[in-house]
Amino acid sequence: MQMKRFRENNLGIFGWLWAGNYRLERYLYTLHRITGLGLILFGIFHLTVTTVFRIQGKNVWDSAMSFLDNPIFKIGEFLVLIAFSFHALNGLRLIIHEIGFALGKPVPPIYPYTDAIRRNRALTLILMVIAMLMIVAFITNSVLGGWK
Amino acid sequence: MKNTYLQLVQMISGILAGLLLAVHIGVQRLDVILGFLGIYVSNTLSFNSMIERAKQISWVTLYIMLLFFAMLHASNGLYKISVEMNLSRTSLRLSIIFIILVGLIFFILGAYTPITLFMK
Repeated sequence: MQMKRFRENNLGIFGWLWAGNYRLERYLYTLHRITGLGLILFGIFHLTVTTVFRIQGKNVWDSAMSFLDNPIFKIGEFLVLIAFSFHALNGLRLIIHEIGFALGKPVPPIYPYTDAIRRNRALTLILMVIAMLMIVAFITNSVLGGWK
Repeated sequence: MKNTYLQLVQMISGILAGLLLAVHIGVQRLDVILGFLGIYVSNTLSFNSMIERAKQISWVTLYIMLLFFAMLHASNGLYKISVEMNLSRTSLRLSIIFIILVGLIFFILGAYTPITLFMK
């Protein structure tokens, strides 16, 4: 007899945004996915530019760099740095939680239920502050005249 | 069991790619702040600076390792998203083949250039 395949995740990609009673960690999960996909798209673009143009010599490289030297691409690069800072620090949080550290103390499952991550948000908040500091460092570097 | 190993690969490749990417981004985008710390880098986007780095085995190794771990992490992440999308079995298989192929193509393309420039 063929087993019926149940479709449990009927919301698909829209379930990333809302499926009821979402809290901070769920939105961090959604942002983690979105920033990850953004970084992959940038990575494909970055690899294409730094391989195809670089191998063709100085003139092609210089003209490609002068084409990319405009406000739209600069803003894009800032977005990539913000995405990297968030994705890296949130990924570190996920790893630390997954190996069992920085979780809240176990409590009896009495309604309204809470999970171990929500009972100990210190790590989440600390790592998000570090991500913000990284973003400030990139902006400061640019304001001080770096990143030409 | 396969997905447990893949999750372990995802965690390890994520940490290594993150560390190597931090070095790469730091050198490329934090030149002034690194200068305050006594590490002087300048004009890293110029062709000559890039060729100079391409001649050093440490940079070539860093770039290829970064590419390898980043590709592994990205491909594995895309696979996890595909699984969560609740695709049909055929669509899932096709998406896995597509992810592996694109990952391999970009790894070869990305590794070819620094190796070629290093050999020149």
